[in-house]
Amino acid sequence: MNIIRLEMRRGMKSLITWTVSLVGLAFLFMMIYPSLAAQMTDFLQIMKSFPPAFREAFGMTNFENGSVIGFYSFVLIYVLLAGSIYAMNIGVSSLSMEVRDKTADFLYSKPVSRCRIISSKIITVLLQILIINIVFMISGWLILAAIQSTTSGSGRVDIRLYLLMTASLAILQLFFASLGLFISSFLKRIRTVLPISMGVVFFFYTLYILNQTLDSAELAYISPFSYFDLSKIIQTGAYEIRYLITAFVLIALFIAATYRFYMKKDLPSI
Amino acid sequence: MAIIEIHQLTKYYGKHKGIENVSFSVEEGEIFGFIGPNGAGKSTTIRTLLSLIYPTSGSATIFGKDCIQYGPEIRKQIGYLPSEVFYYENMKVIDVLKYSASFYQNVNMSRIKELSSTMELDLNKRIEDLSYGNKKKVGIVQGLLHEPKLIILDEPTSGLDPLMQQRFFDLIEIENKKGSTILFSSHILPEVQKLCTRVAIIKDGSIVKIENMDTLRNDNYKKFMVELAAPVSDGFFQLDGITNLVKDGSQFRFLFRGDINRILDLMHGQPLKNLLIEEPSLEEIFMHYYQKEATS
Repeated sequence: MNIIRLEMRRGMKSLITWTVSLVGLAFLFMMIYPSLAAQMTDFLQIMKSFPPAFREAFGMTNFENGSVIGFYSFVLIYVLLAGSIYAMNIGVSSLSMEVRDKTADFLYSKPVSRCRIISSKIITVLLQILIINIVFMISGWLILAAIQSTTSGSGRVDIRLYLLMTASLAILQLFFASLGLFISSFLKRIRTVLPISMGVVFFFYTLYILNQTLDSAELAYISPFSYFDLSKIIQTGAYEIRYLITAFVLIALFIAATYRFYMKKDLPSI
Repeated sequence: MAIIEIHQLTKYYGKHKGIENVSFSVEEGEIFGFIGPNGAGKSTTIRTLLSLIYPTSGSATIFGKDCIQYGPEIRKQIGYLPSEVFYYENMKVIDVLKYSASFYQNVNMSRIKELSSTMELDLNKRIEDLSYGNKKKVGIVQGLLHEPKLIILDEPTSGLDPLMQQRFFDLIEIENKKGSTILFSSHILPEVQKLCTRVAIIKDGSIVKIENMDTLRNDNYKKFMVELAAPVSDGFFQLDGITNLVKDGSQFRFLFRGDINRILDLMHGQPLKNLLIEEPSLEEIFMHYYQKEATS
């Protein structure tokens, strides 16, 4: 417990910053909607003039119906991207920061098993993801409700659909956090975290965009972003089970590998 | 009873050798010196004992238990002061110490206060504002606050001023009198000489010698530099106990082991331009050990 408490305290500032940023991002983007809604037909006309690949790359495929939830799916893409970067950040740095800040000798010479330290750190990461998702889930809904009350005639947002779409943030974050933990368990010394997490997240996002045009169900397995294709979720009102299972299997594998590698790792001397 | 027993401990970092076939044991109540130049493998040995790194082969037991298998249990009774001290930069000293204490069962605040006031450590400063020496004090306090049965010190005095070094040695001696065993790693011979009962000398990853301090003290080498005003015969410095003699004009340099009065007697009556008597560096003593090993 003492490790988790300290880890939470150390991560608090970044957790607050990222939570506020994600909510702020969603809020600012959604603020555009009322003015768009007033001229929706003109706007949709303009959108149609863009090449389909471009629209897909920027998550604008669901504009066609001009609904609030369609616009939200466009906004959510950016939230997912930013949220994934945050999750990867905390995943990569959780174990590696003890080595980077040279505090590993202090912590690992305490009378606790390495397994317990790893578990405490993983639990901390999970807690942080849980908190950011709960806050975003609630604030996002409030933002949508507020937007809806100012515009008329676009139909009510289905809360089930909203929860389903927004929950993809949590699963993507779990994926990237566990991937980050896994990467940090075998890299020798990680000096800066952000280039790694941004690199990996954008790499997978680019793969997702490429596959949007190729539209291959097999290639979709490569990128976690395509596990949660928001336009498909809007159409079907459900996740695709095979991708959901893939996501959780990979998360479990990454976590298991993290334990396996980090338990046997030599902590580099200063 | 042996507190630490190391058997044929070997650690390779990839192809690079850390230590090879290191074996020694530390008895209960001892202050055991572990001495060698930087990079000789002192930290590697110590970090293996704490299972911060895992041995390539060989094993070690502490309190009679395997140091890897029973790591967490053993570490309850170990206080460790690493050679380089780093703590969570934006925490206050007191918070780091409390965090450290939270891992042990028998720590009370008065012990922290007592140790910190002995070492003149300001508890309310942030770690990032501390000088190196003050960080070292944090290390000392966190290493001793749970009154461990085994204290492992890796280059403990670097960064401490002489007054604080003395306070620290006093603390160590108090703990030792209370029954703690101490493994004291250093590359400074005099401080090991002052404190330790036995010493293991390590060089290039292997133990060169394990010796009682008394024996080593009798190996009391002095380094001489003599500059004579008048020339002397070639055989002038042919005295039993003089080694590594180098003649450079009127200047003579050599190591001497034995009764120092014999040298003074020898030079008595010789007009001197200059005279320097120093503690030989550890390297020079080592040189001597190697020469002995090469000839034997």
